Amino acid sequence: MEYQKAAELNSMGKGKIVTEYLCRNGFSELTVDSKKVSVQHKNDTSRKETEEESPLPALEAAYTTILRGLGENTDRQGLLKTPLRAAKAMQFLTKGYHETIYDVLNDAIFDENHEELVIVKDIDMFSLCEHHLVPFFGKVHIGYLPSKKVVGLSKLARIVEIYSRRLQVQERLTKQIAMAISEALQPVGVAVVIEAAHMCMVMRGVQKMNSRTVTSAMLGVFREDPKAREEFLALTKGAQ
Amino acid sequence: MERSKQKQMSQNENETDAAINGHFDGRAKVPGWSAGGAAGTPSTVPSSSVMESWREERTRSLEDNEMSLPSIAAAYTTILRGLGEDPQRQGLLKTPWRAATAMQFFTKGYQEKIIDVLNDAIFDEDHDEMVIVKDIDMFSMCEHHLVPIFGRVHIGYLPNKRVLGLSKLARIVEIYSRRLQVQERLTKQIAVAITEALQPAGVGVVIEATHMCMVMRGVQKMNSKTVTSTMLGVFREDPKTRDEFLSLIRS
Repeated sequence: MEYQKAAELNSMGKGKIVTEYLCRNGFSELTVDSKKVSVQHKNDTSRKETEEESPLPALEAAYTTILRGLGENTDRQGLLKTPLRAAKAMQFLTKGYHETIYDVLNDAIFDENHEELVIVKDIDMFSLCEHHLVPFFGKVHIGYLPSKKVVGLSKLARIVEIYSRRLQVQERLTKQIAMAISEALQPVGVAVVIEAAHMCMVMRGVQKMNSRTVTSAMLGVFREDPKAREEFLALTKGAQ
Repeated sequence: MERSKQKQMSQNENETDAAINGHFDGRAKVPGWSAGGAAGTPSTVPSSSVMESWREERTRSLEDNEMSLPSIAAAYTTILRGLGEDPQRQGLLKTPWRAATAMQFFTKGYQEKIIDVLNDAIFDEDHDEMVIVKDIDMFSMCEHHLVPIFGRVHIGYLPNKRVLGLSKLARIVEIYSRRLQVQERLTKQIAVAITEALQPAGVGVVIEATHMCMVMRGVQKMNSKTVTSTMLGVFREDPKTRDEFLSLIRS
């Protein structure tokens, strides 16, 4: 299977980019194939193990080129260490590539006899638009209906962090979060709503200051049962 | 473009430390704008090194933009690879060009001159009460991390027989904010530009902004805001005027 081949490539230290590509595009299916998705997640970023040489000098040089290309003087005091700072900042803002769901969730799943809606809302989210490399940020509301297994609450926020600290598209981010929770807990249903402001629309382009983009992913009972969905939406509308 | 920068550098006297915001330090002699040149208000014009010749500021042109776009786009491709992404995947195919154009837009303040923006909209009015334009949305780029800063600018001035078209205050904010900036410097540049253009009795500028470099990374304090202000002329000397300005922008 393509994912197993990707696993081999990854362990040889080559083709890590191929793995990334497959992983990211693997989320186009709607049904959750848990074995496939879990293999994806394990491969998601073994980049940390295989990459010994730091890309930081190349990033710094690229930023220096950008500053010069914009007409700035890279020797002035304020800009002297900017390439290094900007490179590190960019690495921090894309640190989600280095983290796997597997590490974050592995311990915090508990057996509880709870079958009512669990919601964690107003999770601050910061991501980078993959088209313009400009931030977009907002709030994530996650709800799930457990099926005997609940997850530690902060782990939902950690899942958001892992997927948002990447070059993202808001639609894909929403779906990835929903699928990760689905695969980890096998709940009766998962709902994720993200409301974000995109700086690429606010700071440039159309320049609409107050526009917000809202995306949602409803899986399982939230997709099929309108009442469950209504309950989730009513409970998350509260403290916007 | 490199050559033109070097030419400017040789024009500037003995400046080894460099430019502020890509422009060369205002200590160079500029005809008509020595510190005491403004009629009637010598004390309002600060002689700090931030002051620059606002008549001759442009360091970038549209041709410069076109010529440097490929190298900036190539740099972004390197960055994408360095972060471990695949620049050939569909979502990222044209990202280097989009990001380069976006970055040029975010620094378009280097292409514009105050004098072009202001030249016509100064009017003689017999008005000597405070004029305030507040809640001007401002978007800038942190020069240390290349990450956005955004917030609001409140500008007030006490005219001395000359008033300025109101949108021109917002345009001055645009010119100085669309650069690689430090909030303190931005505040002062706006205040100094208005002072030089109008010679008012006083100028007050307050900026309240959120710095993504503090919110998205580093200390990660979501709700923190940075407030800076510059008070020149009668706003600096007379506490009652300053109070009036500050209470009017709060209301």
